[in-house]
Amino acid sequence: MKEITMDVLHDAANRLLFDMSEQEYQTLYEEFKILTKQMEKIGKIEGLEAYAPMTFPFDVTVDYLREDVAETPLPRDEALKNAGSVQDHEIKLPKVVG
Amino acid sequence: MNFEAVIGLEIHVEMRTKSKMFSAAPVGFSHEPNTEIAPLDMAYPGTMPVVNKQAVINAIRVANALHMSIDHTLYFDRKNYFYSDLPKGFQITQQFRPIGKEGYLDILDKNGKTKRIRIERIHMEEDTCKQLHFLDYTLLDYNRAGVPLVEIVSLPDLRSGTEAMHYVEAIRNIVVYSGTSDGKMEEGSLRCDVNVSIRPYGTEKLGTKVELKNLNSLKNIEIALDYEVARQTALLLSGTPVQQETRRFDETSGRTVLMRLKTDAVDYKYFCEPNIAPIHLSDDFVNTAIKTCPELFDAKKERYLKLGLNPTDADILLSDIHMAEYFEKGLASSKSAKTLANFLIVEVNGYLNKANKGISDFPLAPEALADVVNLQEGGLTHKQCADILNYMLEHGGNAKQAQESLHIVMQVSDDGAVLGFVSQVFDANPQSILDYKAGKDRAIGFLIGQVMKLSHGKVNPAAVARIMAEEIKKR
Amino acid sequence: MNTLDLSLNEIHAALVEKKVTPLELTQEAIKRAKESKDNAFELIDEANALAFAASLKGPEKDNVLWGIPYVLKDNFSTKGLPTTASSNILNGYVPLYDATVVSKLKAAKAVMIGKSTLDELAMGGTGTTGHLGKTYNPWDPTHQRMIGGSSCGSAASVCSGIVPFALGSDTGDSVRKPASFAGLVGMKPTWGRISRYGLFPFAPSLDHVGFFSRTAADSAYLLDVLAGRDNHDSTSSFKPVEKYESLIGKPVKGLKIAIIKEITDSITNQALKASFAKSVEALKKQGVEVEEVSFGRDLLESIYATYIVISCAEATSNDANLDGIKFGPNYGGKTYQEVMYNARTKGFSELIKRRFVIGSFALMRENQDVLFLRAQKNRAKIVEKTNAILKDHDFIYVPAAPSIAPSFSAASDKLSDEYLIADNHLALGNFAGLPSITLPLTLEEGMPIGINFMGRAFEEAKLYQIAAAFESISGLSNLSIRNKKEGNL
Repeated sequence: MKEITMDVLHDAANRLLFDMSEQEYQTLYEEFKILTKQMEKIGKIEGLEAYAPMTFPFDVTVDYLREDVAETPLPRDEALKNAGSVQDHEIKLPKVVG
Repeated sequence: MNFEAVIGLEIHVEMRTKSKMFSAAPVGFSHEPNTEIAPLDMAYPGTMPVVNKQAVINAIRVANALHMSIDHTLYFDRKNYFYSDLPKGFQITQQFRPIGKEGYLDILDKNGKTKRIRIERIHMEEDTCKQLHFLDYTLLDYNRAGVPLVEIVSLPDLRSGTEAMHYVEAIRNIVVYSGTSDGKMEEGSLRCDVNVSIRPYGTEKLGTKVELKNLNSLKNIEIALDYEVARQTALLLSGTPVQQETRRFDETSGRTVLMRLKTDAVDYKYFCEPNIAPIHLSDDFVNTAIKTCPELFDAKKERYLKLGLNPTDADILLSDIHMAEYFEKGLASSKSAKTLANFLIVEVNGYLNKANKGISDFPLAPEALADVVNLQEGGLTHKQCADILNYMLEHGGNAKQAQESLHIVMQVSDDGAVLGFVSQVFDANPQSILDYKAGKDRAIGFLIGQVMKLSHGKVNPAAVARIMAEEIKKR
Repeated sequence: MNTLDLSLNEIHAALVEKKVTPLELTQEAIKRAKESKDNAFELIDEANALAFAASLKGPEKDNVLWGIPYVLKDNFSTKGLPTTASSNILNGYVPLYDATVVSKLKAAKAVMIGKSTLDELAMGGTGTTGHLGKTYNPWDPTHQRMIGGSSCGSAASVCSGIVPFALGSDTGDSVRKPASFAGLVGMKPTWGRISRYGLFPFAPSLDHVGFFSRTAADSAYLLDVLAGRDNHDSTSSFKPVEKYESLIGKPVKGLKIAIIKEITDSITNQALKASFAKSVEALKKQGVEVEEVSFGRDLLESIYATYIVISCAEATSNDANLDGIKFGPNYGGKTYQEVMYNARTKGFSELIKRRFVIGSFALMRENQDVLFLRAQKNRAKIVEKTNAILKDHDFIYVPAAPSIAPSFSAASDKLSDEYLIADNHLALGNFAGLPSITLPLTLEEGMPIGINFMGRAFEEAKLYQIAAAFESISGLSNLSIRNKKEGNL
C-alpha cells in the first residue's frame, strides 16, 4: 500500500479535482490512521483470502438484455438547460488541450 | 545490427446499432449536435445503464470470427478518470472479464505468406463525447456519448507496417460484413492505436513502446509504421534510447510527431460496475448469434471464386459491402456471375466515379442491370450492351426499351451464316483476293466492309475476320 | 385526532367515506410543513401538490395510497422540480425525469408535498451535513438532539405528523437508524426489490430505497406499490411482487429469532437493556423461539471500516459526474480542469471531500489489495456469517441503536476509534442485501428508542408479520409527537 503522507493526500484530492483546507487534510490524515489500522486488523484474520471479493450481496445473475430499439431522445433545449455555459446548442468549455 | 519491429494494435469499432450501449437514445450519426441524448448519456444523477442486446450479439459474432473463446456471463467494470469528453467521470467497460479472449486472425505477411496474429481480447464499452475545438474554446456534442464500442486488442505479433495494414483490413472486413459497423476509418467509426517498439533480431526482451495515434486510413498505418520503425532504428543505432511517447501521424509530412511523453501508466482504479447485474448468455443465445451472423468476407470471396470470378475482381466487389450486396442481388437474375461482375467493376464503377456517387445512389436496380447482362449472354456484343446500359442511365427505361431505341440487333456469329456472306463476297471480288495475296493489306479491310454491307451490319466483326482469314487460304 | 395523524387504513376509510378530501389532507400537511421549525425541507411544492390533490377523481376504494400526502427525500429525481441531494454542487439542478418510485407513487395518486433534507449526497449519519444545516429531532423541541441520517428530513416529517409516510434511502442504516431516533417504522427491503432508477447513487451495491411510516401495515402497503422489476434498473429483481401485508395477524408461534450476543452485551444504556429484555420475554410468550447466538466480536467490529471503504470507493466514482459542466453551478475557469476543480471545491462540503479521498485511495492500484478488495472479501465473510445465522432462524433481532438520539454536541462525522458495535451493525442488512425493519421499542426521557428485525432475502411478508406482532407487544403503533404514547415496554 502507498504510504500515507500529507503530500499523498494533497495529490489524491487534486486528482479528484478539488482542494481542502489544511485543517481538513489534518483531519483526513487522522482518519486514515484509524482506517488503515482497522483494515490491517481485518487483514490479519485468518482465512480471509479464501473469500472472493463481493460486489453483489447474493446471486443476482439475470438473462435480460434490452432490445435494440431507439427511443425518442431528449429535446435539445431540455438536455442543455441545466448547463451553465452553452453556445450553438453545445456545451462550451475553455479550449481543451491534449 | 538488425532490428525487428514488434507491433501490437488496439482497434476501437463503433457499432451501428439502433440505440446506444447502455441507453435507448438513437445512434444515427446525426449532424445536429445534442439531438441524440438520453439522460444517462449526459450522466444526469440517478440514471442507470441497461445493456443493449444487439451490441452483445455483434460482439459475439466478431469474437467468433476471430476464433475467440466467448464468456457466457457478462460483467462490466468502471474505468475511472476525468476528462472533458467523459460525462460520468468513468467509462463502463469490460476490464476483468472481456466477452472474448484468446483468438487469432490469419493474414498475409509482406511476402504473401500466411501468418497468424494472436488476439488477446475483445470487449464492449461505450464511446465518449465529440469535441469541437476552436481557437479559444471547445464545444461538446453528446450524440456520440454512449455509442457502443467493441475493442479488439492484439498481441504484439505484427512485424511490419504492411502486416499491420493487412490486419486492420481483415478486422475491418469482419466488422463490416458481420453488420457490426460501417468501419469507416476516415469518419472515426474504426480507430486504431498502434504500439510499436524495436529490438535486435533474435532477442526476446521488448524495447520501449511508442504509441501512435491518428491513423485514419490503411495506407497511413503502413506509412506511419515504416517511418516510426526507421526513426527508432536510427535512434538506437546512434546510441540514443527510445522514449516512451505518444506520437501523432502527420499526413502531410508522412512523419510521426511527438504528442506527449508517456509518464507512469494512468491508474484507472478499475472496479466491478455495481449497477449492472451479471448477465448470463445461454448456449442457445450465443449459438444463434453466431449462426445468424451475415456472411463474412472470406466466405463471400470463396463463393465468388466458385462462381468463376478471379480473386482480383472478387476483392474489388468486396471492397465495398454495398457493391457486394448489389452484386449478390443481381446474381439472382443474372445468367453469368462473371459478366455481371465485369459490368459492375468497369462500366458501373466508371459511371459512379464520374458522378461522384456510391453504389447506393446508382439509379438502376440490380435486376435492371441483370437484364443487360442477360442480353450479352444471349448474343449481343459487350459493346452493344454497354451502349444499352448508358442509354438506360441517361434516359431511364429498361434494357428492352433501350435496345429498341438504339436499334440494336443480334449480330450473326453463326459460323455457317458468316461463311455464307464471306463466300458471296469472295465470289464477287476475285481481284481483291489477288490484291491481298500480292501484299495489299487494305484489300482485307475492303472485303470485310463488303461483308458488313451485305449483312446490313449484322455480322459479328470478330467472327468475320476469323472466317475470312481461314477461307482466304483456301482460295 | 386530525385525520392526517391516523394510520393509512384509517385515513383511507375517511377518504372513502368522504369525511375528508385529498385537498384537505394536503392543505393540512403543507400547513404543518410550513410551521415546522425542524429544518426538514429543501422545498415545499405547494402549488403542484394542491393542484394534483384537487385534480384527483375518486376515491379509489382499493387503493390505500389514494390522495395521501407524502414527502420525498431530496436525492430522488423529480422531473421539473429542483433536486439537490442537499449539496451545493447541485444547487439549481432541475431533473428531466422522475425516479421510478416517484412515478409509481404518482400513479397510485399519492400527493408529494415536498423534498426533504438529507446529509449531503446521503453520505452521513447525523442529519447535520446538508447544505441547509442541521435537521432537528422533533421529539426534542429544545433542538439539542439530532434525528440521525442520512434521511433526516423524511424522518422528521413523519414523526412530527406532517405526512403519514416518507421515502428515504438506506446505504448503511440511513432509514433504519433515524427511524429509531424518531420512533418510526423504518423499512429497508431486499436489495433489488425496489427500483433505484432515479435515486442519486451513494454506493450502488449497498443502496436501497427505504421508507418511513408509523405502522407496520402502512409500511407493507407502501412496499406493495413500490416493489417490482424495472427495466431501467439492471439490478432490480424479477421476483414477483407479493401482497406484503398478507401474513400480518397470523400467529407468530414457532418463528425463530436470533439475538446477537455481542451486540446486546455492548449496550450500556440501562433503560434500553431493560426494555429489550422485556421485549424478548414478550416475544417468547407469543411462542417465538429466541436463541442467543454469537456473531464474532472481531467480525462485528470490522463492519465499520469495511463499510467506509466500500461505500466511499463506490461513492467517489458515482459522484465524478458532478463537475459543474452539465448541471450545477459553473464557476468558469481557464481550462476544463479548472472548471471542474472550481465546481467541486466550492460545491462539496469538507466531509464529503474527505470521504472521496478515502474512497479514491482505496481504489488505487497499489492499494486495492489491502483496502478495497480486502473490504469486499470481508463483506463476503460477514454476509456468509449472517446468512448462516438466518439458515436456522427466521430473523435477527437487535436494538437499532445504542441509545436515544444523541445531542448534536456528542456526535461527529469523523471516523473514530471507538468500536461502537451497536452503532454500526445495521449495515449487515446492506452488506447482505437483506430486508430489515426498525420499530419503536420504548421511550426514554421522552425520546424514542427502536429495535430492528432482519429477515431472509425476499421474505418481506414474514418480516411484516413479526413487525406487526411486535407492535402489539410494544403498544407503540402510530407513534408521533402529536400522538404520544407510553408503550408497554
